[in-house]
Amino acid sequence: MINIFYNEWLGFLRNKLFLFFISFFVILLIAVTYFGVIQNNKQIEAQNDAHDHIRAQWDEMSPSNPHSAAHFGTYAFKPNSILNNLDEGVNAVTGVVLRLEGHKQNEVAFSEASQSLTISQFGKFKVSLLFQFIIPLFLIFLAFNIYTTEITSGRLKLLLVQGNSLRKIVFAKILSLLSLSTILLSITILLQLIFNFNKIELDQFVRLNIFFWSYFIYYFIIIAYTVLLSIIFKKNTSSLSMTIITWLLWTIFLPKTIGNFTETITPLTTRIELSENMKEDRSQGIDGHNPFDTRKKDLEKEVLDKYQVDSLSQLPVNFAGILMQADEEYGNSVWDKHYGDLYGKLETQKRHYQLSGIINPFASLQSLSMAAAGTDLFHHLDFLNASELYRRYFIKTLNDEYAFGGSKTGERGWKATNDFFRSIKDFNYSEKKLFFILHKYIVDIICLFGWSFVLLFLIYYHSRKGFL
Amino acid sequence: MNINIFLFEFKHFARNKAKIFSYLFFVLLCILSIYNGYDLMNTQLETISEIKAKKDLEINKILGWHDSGEVGPEDKPWVNITDPYWSIRYTPTYIFKEPSPLFPLGIGQAEQFGFYKKITRWSSTYDTDMVEEISNYERLINGNIDFSFLIIFLLPILLIILTYNINGMEKDLRFDKLIFIQNNKVNFWLLNRLLFYLILLIISINFLIVSVGFVNGFDNNIDTVLKLILISNLYIFCFALIFFFINKYSNTSSSAAFKMISIWLMFCVVIPGTVHQYASFKYPVNYMTDFLDINRKQTYEVFKLENFDLYDILMQIQPELSETQKAQDTVIDNQLVRRSISTIINQMNIGATFEIEMQNENKNEMIKSSYIINPVSYVQNLWNSCIFTDYYAYKDYRSKIQESILSRNQLIVLEMWRENKVNKEKYKDYLKILN
Repeated sequence: MINIFYNEWLGFLRNKLFLFFISFFVILLIAVTYFGVIQNNKQIEAQNDAHDHIRAQWDEMSPSNPHSAAHFGTYAFKPNSILNNLDEGVNAVTGVVLRLEGHKQNEVAFSEASQSLTISQFGKFKVSLLFQFIIPLFLIFLAFNIYTTEITSGRLKLLLVQGNSLRKIVFAKILSLLSLSTILLSITILLQLIFNFNKIELDQFVRLNIFFWSYFIYYFIIIAYTVLLSIIFKKNTSSLSMTIITWLLWTIFLPKTIGNFTETITPLTTRIELSENMKEDRSQGIDGHNPFDTRKKDLEKEVLDKYQVDSLSQLPVNFAGILMQADEEYGNSVWDKHYGDLYGKLETQKRHYQLSGIINPFASLQSLSMAAAGTDLFHHLDFLNASELYRRYFIKTLNDEYAFGGSKTGERGWKATNDFFRSIKDFNYSEKKLFFILHKYIVDIICLFGWSFVLLFLIYYHSRKGFL
Repeated sequence: MNINIFLFEFKHFARNKAKIFSYLFFVLLCILSIYNGYDLMNTQLETISEIKAKKDLEINKILGWHDSGEVGPEDKPWVNITDPYWSIRYTPTYIFKEPSPLFPLGIGQAEQFGFYKKITRWSSTYDTDMVEEISNYERLINGNIDFSFLIIFLLPILLIILTYNINGMEKDLRFDKLIFIQNNKVNFWLLNRLLFYLILLIISINFLIVSVGFVNGFDNNIDTVLKLILISNLYIFCFALIFFFINKYSNTSSSAAFKMISIWLMFCVVIPGTVHQYASFKYPVNYMTDFLDINRKQTYEVFKLENFDLYDILMQIQPELSETQKAQDTVIDNQLVRRSISTIINQMNIGATFEIEMQNENKNEMIKSSYIINPVSYVQNLWNSCIFTDYYAYKDYRSKIQESILSRNQLIVLEMWRENKVNKEKYKDYLKILN
């Protein structure tokens, strides 16, 4: 088997076209990774600048009323992960700026896709584009006649006569192609380690491993599938047509149709419906800015009882701050209900899509690739949740200062000091460790392994002697 | 054209199950994509009509108040709709980006932008409610089954499947020399065989485009339908021309297939992807801090200004105010000035959004300059522009929104400073101006 493997490689190296393409891919990979890292660093720098700019404005805030400061608010900027240069995932279509302010939760806005004309339907030329679309095609073209040419040239019989089993021959050929893709994958990982040497921590190391093994298994599937069709059809043209049609189905047709289908079986609410429903629910709670609100009267009574005083003016605290926080907490529960439901639906859609890995291994690969790069839906939702949690901390701190920081009810002009504003913690989002959410990708992992085992079995079965 | 070669190719096509399957599958996909387009178009139209119905209800409520002599909602006694300030605030205005009749033929960038916007005096064209309709982000990156996508990206692949073994198969089976002996003009023979598939595809897609045109009012869309036919036919012709030379010079069918797929990858994936990467490199995602500053810091600074400073700014922005009695009074009406601040903020927003649009335009100019090496993106944007689903269609939509915000602010300020009183007729006038 080692000899056949060795011979295959000799054959590859004697083929000038192969040498041209492999050199081309290696150069391309280096260039794509290098420019990807540069572009990503530039983006991270721009994000940091924007973040620092906004925080500096906050830190420079002159003594102000804390509730005015809650309206002034702050912004959360979606950070790019270090491995974003591997696979951009959903980052091109999600917004990057989220306004965090009192009374309302905003939508993340200003997506890159909305800032220009359309350029590429398949995304930027990142490592993922090369690995998901181009390398598989290259492997298909290398594999589709790897078996049939042995038959037509008569070499197969010669090899069998020499005592090699058909299975050994087939598997040696598969391994030789797989080793080729392993080299390209290893180069990518190595380049990532070199270019991001100072930033790679254990989590990134785990992510790079997931990335490597996902593509490794996917390439095995691609090669094994192509070789299997070559064994079954025994004709170059038929096996090539069938493999290309399958590649098209996997990479272009199924992701789109199944994506649409998941939205059909778990429909999402429209923005206007969501906003109307939230407005309706919100109107059932306390309106912090409406002095005629009946629920406000109940809260007032509750606070007066707690402090055992008869009127708001006797309170040692500022009732306005308590009222604003009560309003805020009610708003939070409304947000939890509606956005919890929305995010739940999005996760359900994602899970349904992951199940399509049963018929489309590309779906599993895509999911794991984005997961490894930290650019999939789960990571995006984690950022949104973290931003909302910070908003709650931010507004509560301001409301508490207004209520218990030294002002009395009715002192609308009361101002908190600059030191207080500076003491509020900044929003520093760090990407969730992949290890803690790895369970969400179990379906993808199972699907890829499932495909591999099924193909292994089929090749094992079809490469028995009788089949020849 | 040689009818015998045509008939021969037809027989070959009819007997080849893989080719028949691929062709029918593609046609089926096209029909599905048109259905998807209709579905999305109807969803947008339904949402728009629901909003319009709600708006009418709101308007009827206000008209009812005028009829019954009420001046506002019971739980908000400070509201007085006879005052232009409250009356205009209670005049609902929505701006819509209605899908064009040929929307099913190209969703384009429609899913990346919002298509309705409630206008208030504080609105801006980059508000957070301008973002796209709620969708699954991972579905958005994979895209929709869109007719334009099928034509621009999948049609060349179908052409590859249908034509990769023309001449190549003869060489594979080593009877190519026989063909050369039987046909003096090999190029003519090759061209005729290729033409069969080209004509088949052109007839199929033209039929689908014309059908959608007919269903959605052919008379009104004839220009666009013809443009789309021209674009698609020229586009596929260019690919066919390249494939002709590949077929002619390749030694085997698999070599031809490899070259054709490489051409497709190069033009449809690699070059657009590279330009995209370069554009992001040169123009990174705009975090719009200038706009955020105006929305937040500078807005608060305006609120901190003294009333006489605000008065001066207001007179500069809207000089016609100086002719009003209120402006000529020796004492400044503080409430009036404070209520006019939105006009100043809007003016600042116009400046900031202009900057953003300019930055976006620079990026677009870079993209346009790449068309010479990136023709597929050119065709894609040309197609989208015909159906009004490209960036510029949404830029026009933003301009409409800006005009509406501006006219709302101008009206509210002018009416307040003129101290007009609002009755039912006046309110109807407001409705005409603001809608």
